[in-house]
Amino acid sequence: MKTFHFILRFIVGGVFVVAGVLKIWNPASFAGDIANYRLLTETLVNLVAITLPWVEVLAGSLLIAGIWKRPSALLITVLMVIFLAGIGQAIYRHLDIRCGCFSTLEARKVGLTALAEDFALLIAAGWLTFWYKE
Amino acid sequence: MAHNLQRALVIACAGAVLGLAANLISPRRIPYIAAPKVAPQPTDFISLADAKQLWQTGATFFLDARATADYAAGHIAGAYNLPAEEFDARYPQIATMLAPDTAIVTYCDGLQCDLSHHLTARLRQLHYQNVRVLQNGWTVWHQAGFTTTTGDKP
Repeated sequence: MKTFHFILRFIVGGVFVVAGVLKIWNPASFAGDIANYRLLTETLVNLVAITLPWVEVLAGSLLIAGIWKRPSALLITVLMVIFLAGIGQAIYRHLDIRCGCFSTLEARKVGLTALAEDFALLIAAGWLTFWYKE
Repeated sequence: MAHNLQRALVIACAGAVLGLAANLISPRRIPYIAAPKVAPQPTDFISLADAKQLWQTGATFFLDARATADYAAGHIAGAYNLPAEEFDARYPQIATMLAPDTAIVTYCDGLQCDLSHHLTARLRQLHYQNVRVLQNGWTVWHQAGFTTTTGDKP
């Protein structure tokens, strides 16, 4: 179980670090992706585009490093719930938009694949947060 | 759990502060608050009938603002593809065919689609005066049964 816990931490944390760094690389494009979800007012879009990637990188790094494992896993769980809600509403509203999950590196559209991936990440992060016993 | 939540909040705040600070010095910094969008005016739009008429004259330049794949799957016959997101890379080639007073019609697809508006704004910045948006362009054009074509050429 210990090895599994370590590997899972590494995967979940790694995904967050990579996704965050890619967004930091191109904040303007990420801001556009956020705006496309049509959830936030124009005032908030850039603030989220500026701050969210750094929160992702920080939480992912801490999870990998093993510092504040549970709090960072909890934060990632909360973020995954928010991302899932965003993708879910985009699918429901038939928005034909780029996912923005890994910035412009992928031209992938919002859809069931993205939903499934995020769901898997949510389960993993949820397990690290709530079910794993040291 | 409560202290985990507290620490999670600390991480979130620290990350946010890092992001706000990094944006000060980043070469790719963006404004903290985006400039409000100018609401489109009625004169920014062209009706389907007028667009069709201009298309028949052949003197009007139609620009498809959608992604390359969407353009290849079907577009207004004679329209050139200038994806709003690849403007800088693709514009120079298009520019050779345009004059400042060329009549230009931009379009994308869907009432919510604002790619054509972005494209129009960019073109106006570049001093093209006669640019208008055919709203929901691809849908209304091909539903009306007007001439369309497929592939990556106009």
